[in-house]
Amino acid sequence: MMGFPANRLFCLVLLFLFVPAAVCGAPVTRALSTAEPGNGEIFTASLSIDGIALGGVVETLPAGYVFVATDHPDDRVLVRGQQVAFLVTNDTQITYSVMAPASGSGDITGTWEDFLGESDGQIAASHVAVDGIETAAESGGENPAAPEAAPQFAVVAAAAALLIAGWGGRR
Amino acid sequence: MNRWYLLALLLLLAVPASAAESIPGDADADGTLTRAEYASAALAYLDTACMGGTGDLDRDDIRDAAWVYARWDGKPREVTDSTGRTVTLYRPLRRVVTFSGESLETLRSLGFDMDRVVAVDKYSHEKEAFFPECRDKANVGSIWSPDMEKVLSVRPDTVILYATISTAACDDIQKRLEASSPGIRVLRFDCFKPATYAGEIRTIASIIDETERGEEFASFYGSTMDQIQDGTAGIPDDEKTRVYFEYWFDYTTVAASAGYNEKTELAGGKNPFAVGTTEYPAVDPEAIIVADPQVVVKLAGQGLAAGGYAGHDPEALAAIRSALLERPGWSRISAVEDGRVHVIHSDILGGAQHFIGTAYLAKWFYPDRFSDLDPHAVHQRYLTEFQGIDFDLASRGTFVYP
Repeated sequence: MMGFPANRLFCLVLLFLFVPAAVCGAPVTRALSTAEPGNGEIFTASLSIDGIALGGVVETLPAGYVFVATDHPDDRVLVRGQQVAFLVTNDTQITYSVMAPASGSGDITGTWEDFLGESDGQIAASHVAVDGIETAAESGGENPAAPEAAPQFAVVAAAAALLIAGWGGRR
Repeated sequence: MNRWYLLALLLLLAVPASAAESIPGDADADGTLTRAEYASAALAYLDTACMGGTGDLDRDDIRDAAWVYARWDGKPREVTDSTGRTVTLYRPLRRVVTFSGESLETLRSLGFDMDRVVAVDKYSHEKEAFFPECRDKANVGSIWSPDMEKVLSVRPDTVILYATISTAACDDIQKRLEASSPGIRVLRFDCFKPATYAGEIRTIASIIDETERGEEFASFYGSTMDQIQDGTAGIPDDEKTRVYFEYWFDYTTVAASAGYNEKTELAGGKNPFAVGTTEYPAVDPEAIIVADPQVVVKLAGQGLAAGGYAGHDPEALAAIRSALLERPGWSRISAVEDGRVHVIHSDILGGAQHFIGTAYLAKWFYPDRFSDLDPHAVHQRYLTEFQGIDFDLASRGTFVYP
């Protein structure tokens, strides 16, 4: 009878642990036009929103980074210091622009809330560094950074688990 | 004295949760939450919650505002309960206390978030098999012995009472709530009467904004009741099945004013003892034999504890039936001679599930007319599809015998 190698079982456990986390992600994700802007460069952050009929998103920029503008209607945006609130009304995409400082790095963090769905959570952090140069931690936000690497790690871990499981099974 | 201090404290605590006289975010207080007002309120909330602002709206406020804006078109909702009283709702139901198991069951049929039910009556609290989610909820007693301190301690925004039964007790609870906490909304429904249940389903569905689900459930309920009504339509009075319906207690029947008689008649039965004003009159044993019922139905339940949702015990119901068959002189009764003596549990005849029990009665009274009616299947679909509970009738509960 064919046995079931322990390492294969372990990998399958890894799959069950991480794949759901990757697939059932947060309803809001962020993409940056660049994670390494130049000195004073204006770059864009695009928020993709899925399934929030009425809710809100609050973004927090690292110290020195300045909110410039957004394509979102004015009456649905509020800026206070390093934080920007966007009101969500069945929106699927919100784009805003940010001006980088002369130097500095940090995380853009965010939170979302679905008022009708009565749920809330954090948006995975996006790391930015002027010219790719890391500086001492100086995040301007008050919110803890969300585990940015989680979805990517989950995908990598799942792929690795699949490979190892397949390799283990052929032995 | 300490008790009065406690009650005073509870009243103070109850006020914030029950302040439901306006739509949150309705800045000009004109009774309509406009798009601009909602947007302003939502941004103010985000500012307060995440950005160090100092607004007044909390999370429940903005969620309620979003509900009213999205689902009620920004306006309060007016509903008329089963006492004919119109109640204006400025917010959705968020913290509900039910003194009526039937209303609680109907809320669950309609997909209401049961986490929003914060306290229930003692009988629902005890029904662990049917209301497993209520085991850990507060118990506010019964309408005859309400624990008002407990009611106020759970800070309800809505309390549900009966509409047309035990009216004195329910009126008293309502008056006490209105006097102490006027912001608490009192809604009154029966949810057990065939004549009004379909309408109540739709009204409650409208309150909780589950109108589609309400139509679906009302249609399911109505299809069974319509099938019974259609199947018994046109039967001449002198050809109707003679039925002796016995209440929990021996030689106690149901008269015209009793709900069980209404269901017997809906199923096409003719009750020879449906006279007098007493709801559950005692009957002369000899009179039963003289009446010669074609069908005998015996009720099990609270006063004759056996079966129901609490236990899978067909033997207990069989024993009840055997005892009937052995009664002096009963061997001469047509129902006994023809094997048409049945036991039914009040769980499926007395409350919101009366349509299931009535379907069994119809099938027993007119097996040929209702050959395609399957009360067991109706019951299972109700539990699975509408109640959403994992309850397999093949292995749990006993409701009829045979």
